[in-house]
Amino acid sequence: MLSPQEWDVLALSLRVALASVGLSLPPAIAMGWVLARREFRGKLLVDGLCHLPLVLPPVVTGYVLLLAFGRRGWFGPVLDALGVTLAFDWKGAVLASAVVAFPLALRAVRLAIEAVDPRLEGVARTLGAGPWRVFFTITLRLAAPGLWVGALLAFARSLGEFGATITFVANIAGQTRTIPSAIYTYLNQPGGEDAALRLVWVSVAVSLAALLGSEWAARRARGRQEMP
Amino acid sequence: MSRSRPRRHRTVGWILLLALVHLPAGAEPVTVFAAASLAGALRELWPRHRHPEVSLSFAGSSMLARQIDAGAPADLFICASQDWMDYLQARGRIDTTTRIDLLGNRLVIIAPRGEGFALRLQPDTDIGAAFEGRFAMGDPDHVPAGIYARQALRSLGWWPALAARLAPANDVRSALVWVERGECAAGIVYATDVASSRGVEVVAAIPDSLHAPIRYPAALVNHRSTPSARRWLDTLRSAAARAVFSRHGFTLLTAPE
Repeated sequence: MLSPQEWDVLALSLRVALASVGLSLPPAIAMGWVLARREFRGKLLVDGLCHLPLVLPPVVTGYVLLLAFGRRGWFGPVLDALGVTLAFDWKGAVLASAVVAFPLALRAVRLAIEAVDPRLEGVARTLGAGPWRVFFTITLRLAAPGLWVGALLAFARSLGEFGATITFVANIAGQTRTIPSAIYTYLNQPGGEDAALRLVWVSVAVSLAALLGSEWAARRARGRQEMP
Repeated sequence: MSRSRPRRHRTVGWILLLALVHLPAGAEPVTVFAAASLAGALRELWPRHRHPEVSLSFAGSSMLARQIDAGAPADLFICASQDWMDYLQARGRIDTTTRIDLLGNRLVIIAPRGEGFALRLQPDTDIGAAFEGRFAMGDPDHVPAGIYARQALRSLGWWPALAARLAPANDVRSALVWVERGECAAGIVYATDVASSRGVEVVAAIPDSLHAPIRYPAALVNHRSTPSARRWLDTLRSAAARAVFSRHGFTLLTAPE
């Protein structure tokens, strides 16, 4: 059905999207908690900065990443010293996807944490639980369905990422040619329509599977909460 | 009432007259689809403030060809590759009697400004050791500049050493940006791209004998091939147009009018 190159494209896309969820979700949870539970000066500004990748054209995000994390970028020497290459590498594709996916994950997580009754956290504290224990066993546990939604949104956004990726890490077969880049490449070849269409079906299937999987996980998480 | 009506007619008359004076005779609106590498030259030839009747749309030739095939309202198409013009011709989308080879272009090897290196265009040159990092060029899978570049690199016998080190760009302008930024220490772009950039220098010009000739065909789109559209196509061969194109580094393939 799929050619070996198309399987490679699919495998790379899944790898990049999953790694991007892993990279964007922890900061989204931390930031979501801060924005939901803390009041401080400049909160609006922080909120706005976090949402910037959602508003900026992805090509701009990609160019800023190139300026920041390219070989000659602001953090180029640091990355060089660490022996990490991001530009034109699949790890850079992960970073680009994670940056554009972060605001979506953040929104979902923040809403979920805001919906957790702070009195429950207060009760846990009075019963002697430390702040970290409260965070992990009460706040995150109760916000779990929202976390799954955040993870799904991040995954979906990463799977569809094109503009920032192509600008930051190009379209290198086996390294950074994810499903959208591959579809773009095929559409730019005379006679590439069939291959492009196959990949369109693949991305529809993957997206549906992710949607169903996350819905199932969110339901399970909700069901567990309702148990006494 | 009876006095205002003739006045209103007169106003309408003035507006019509002004409109006629403002538009050059016979300047019907025209939509031009052109390869992205022509953006600089065509914007100079037909600036919006002087030619509001010309709508320019720039993109990769492949995207434009697909749009025209899907019925996009283009009158005139200037393409960076014969393949895509052939594609439209095979599908009966262009008026073949109007098709001409308008412009030619050349390829150059570039490096970031101030970081050029000596390079002999010989098969025995160890190109892999000549620079570090990746080599920027149009994606040889679909970008015309990349397809020509791969032909040239194969002719030189350099392809095996560079194939795994490519930074394939989705258009030749992105390849230029990567070299300008120093992300890539070398790359291949059109000579016309270098003319518009201050951030790169030419390491070597690639002789045309190493690749298929780079031609920009132009044609009118079928069903939109009106005398007015034909005049716009002829304008591209005028002395003024030729001056602009050569200033931007293109070679002229049409005889002067």
